[in-house]
Amino acid sequence: MSAAPPDVRLQDVILDARIRLEDLVDPQGLNELCKTFVALFGIPVRIYSIDGSLLVDSASENELCAYVNASADGRSACAAVVGGAKSREPGEAGDISHPCFTGAVYRIIALDYDGRRVGRLIIGPFVPSNVSGVPASLLAIHSSIDKARAQDLLDKMPRAKSQTVTRIAGHLKSALDLLLFSGHKAFVTSQMHLASVRESYRELEEKNARLQEAFDRLKELDRLKSSFLATVSHELRTPLTSIIGYSEMLSEGLAGDLKAEQLEFVRTIHEKGGQLLSLIVGLLDLGKLESGTMRMKLQIIGVGSVLREVVSTLTPAARKRGVKLSLDVAPGVADVRADSERLRQVFLNLVENAIKFTPADGEVALSARMAPPTDGASQTEDEGIALLAPTREQVEVHVADTGIGIPVRERIKVFDAFYQVDSSSTREYGGTGLGLSIVKRLVEGHGGTIRIQDNEPRGTVFVVTLPRPEPTMAEAPRVA
Amino acid sequence: MQINFAGREIGLKLVYYGPALSGKTSNLRSLHQLTSERSRGRLMTLETKDDRTLFFDMLPLTLRAEGEERASGGPPGMTLRIKIFTVPGQVLHSSTRRLVLQGADGVAFIADSQISETEHNAASFLDLRNNLKELGLAIKGLPLVIQFNKRDLDHVRSDAEIDALASRGREPVFKASAVRGDGVIETFFGLLHLAWTQLDREHQLAKMLGIRQEALLPMAARQLGLSKDVSVLLSSCVGGRLERRPQVSS
Repeated sequence: MSAAPPDVRLQDVILDARIRLEDLVDPQGLNELCKTFVALFGIPVRIYSIDGSLLVDSASENELCAYVNASADGRSACAAVVGGAKSREPGEAGDISHPCFTGAVYRIIALDYDGRRVGRLIIGPFVPSNVSGVPASLLAIHSSIDKARAQDLLDKMPRAKSQTVTRIAGHLKSALDLLLFSGHKAFVTSQMHLASVRESYRELEEKNARLQEAFDRLKELDRLKSSFLATVSHELRTPLTSIIGYSEMLSEGLAGDLKAEQLEFVRTIHEKGGQLLSLIVGLLDLGKLESGTMRMKLQIIGVGSVLREVVSTLTPAARKRGVKLSLDVAPGVADVRADSERLRQVFLNLVENAIKFTPADGEVALSARMAPPTDGASQTEDEGIALLAPTREQVEVHVADTGIGIPVRERIKVFDAFYQVDSSSTREYGGTGLGLSIVKRLVEGHGGTIRIQDNEPRGTVFVVTLPRPEPTMAEAPRVA
Repeated sequence: MQINFAGREIGLKLVYYGPALSGKTSNLRSLHQLTSERSRGRLMTLETKDDRTLFFDMLPLTLRAEGEERASGGPPGMTLRIKIFTVPGQVLHSSTRRLVLQGADGVAFIADSQISETEHNAASFLDLRNNLKELGLAIKGLPLVIQFNKRDLDHVRSDAEIDALASRGREPVFKASAVRGDGVIETFFGLLHLAWTQLDREHQLAKMLGIRQEALLPMAARQLGLSKDVSVLLSSCVGGRLERRPQVSS
């Protein structure tokens, strides 16, 4: 997949941005900076942007200028000088003097950044140190100008050597340059940041799209697999039913008496047929559970009654193997919302397994009690926990055996379909490896969990938790 | 590249690429130190706390090229604005690398000479190739020089090994110790030479702006305040091809 071209404007920002003084420097701050210069050196400072607009004006009219401006001729002469200073370009050298008829001068200094001109600095008016008397040009402005008064006011104007002003200007320029650089850097950083985020977002979007595509494809494959499994299982079951039925009829002598050896063979056929059928039923169940098409008839039932039924069904098998089977349902075990048939299947499977893997004289103990939730949710963070905690208790059923146990590292895998801890156990103990994966899915289908613990001193405990039905307003008892 | 004929400006973008901590920023720092204040701008570094480059570093160099009279009659010469960027080397900054790489006129690949860094060099080069591809560029057409940096350290690939490796490749290879300032100018000039040669070929700069290709590098060296002759700078490269090198002046 080819990438969309990254943001083109970023290129301009980092490569060829026309830096504008007014964009990068805060005008208020710049004004304050210039005021400190005026306070230090007593010479007015103005800053113009490259397009000629005034950004900072720290100048206030001095007395000589006010005196000159009192006459109309003086005003127009002054305006001509100031206008000239404003519009004069500091040239290639970047530093020129602009004289005033009063004998004072303006210094016009270029502000450059990144090799380009960004504005102008006008320092003045100030009186150069070599000017002492009132120049003739000042007296010529108007007949009303009094020489003594003019001399008096000229002496009050800021006075500076040309080199001093050059140094002051250099200092102000480097302070401004630093401000511009800092502003520029922050600007570039923010633009780069934005562009990076956009680019990362674009990359993630692409990856997401690819993942979604793969996910959709897998989901479709999974659906096909489940449907194939269901079809094949169904097709297998039909002839198998005939095999089981006919072998049963044979073994019951419906087609005449059989010799002992023949009877044994036919019973083996019948028994293995039954095993095959339960495997196929298991596969069908698994397919339904995986595809989410398993229908559960949920109703409020007591776990105790299901467990009692399981125990009574399996007591003969346990007795046959010399295994003690016990049941202990604690008082106060709440009802659960479950499909009783499926729940029975869960515990039949677990208890059957436990009996199978427990040697003679061993014990399989079933117990049920209420327990706090085990989902890891922090109880202190939950709001209203004082009210909700009691309702979040769940029913916990333990199926404990004293059998061979399951190593810790195998405890998650045993719930995978077709997995057996030790493949040799399939031959020794029989089974398809489907049971526990079905059990897990059935338990989860009820909103519950299943986990494995050690049984001291030996054996395994399967712990099944089933949630209590959530209380609803309708079901909560009303206080009259 | 950005050409502004009216403003008589050319903007050139050179990118220093390479694995994390190979010395890209050190190259820029040294370049900054070794060049004259008149032509260089401030070195802009955007770093994280641990001294690693976050987005990029950027060193601007501004050169004034006085050209010859052109047939078209316009004023000769122009301003050459070179911006040298480094990319962040860490793996996770791939998108930033791609952004910085965009529009590059040439790339200097800064490799770490330490033998232990061989894999990182290779991985970063593949990353460069990949990112160029994503940007729709082929590495083949890009002016590219390689620098083996950190020659001052122990456990580095020997000169003979580098010479042998360089002789097999297309790219000019420079040896450097950026922190000491060795080989930094040479690498930059090697890249500038390749980049300018390519741009001149593509945009007829000699004809349009009156800047002769052979005159550009000596002019750049002069303005950057370098004492070494350009031909000496370029001749320090091993392997590869620096097409149309200026004649060594006697």
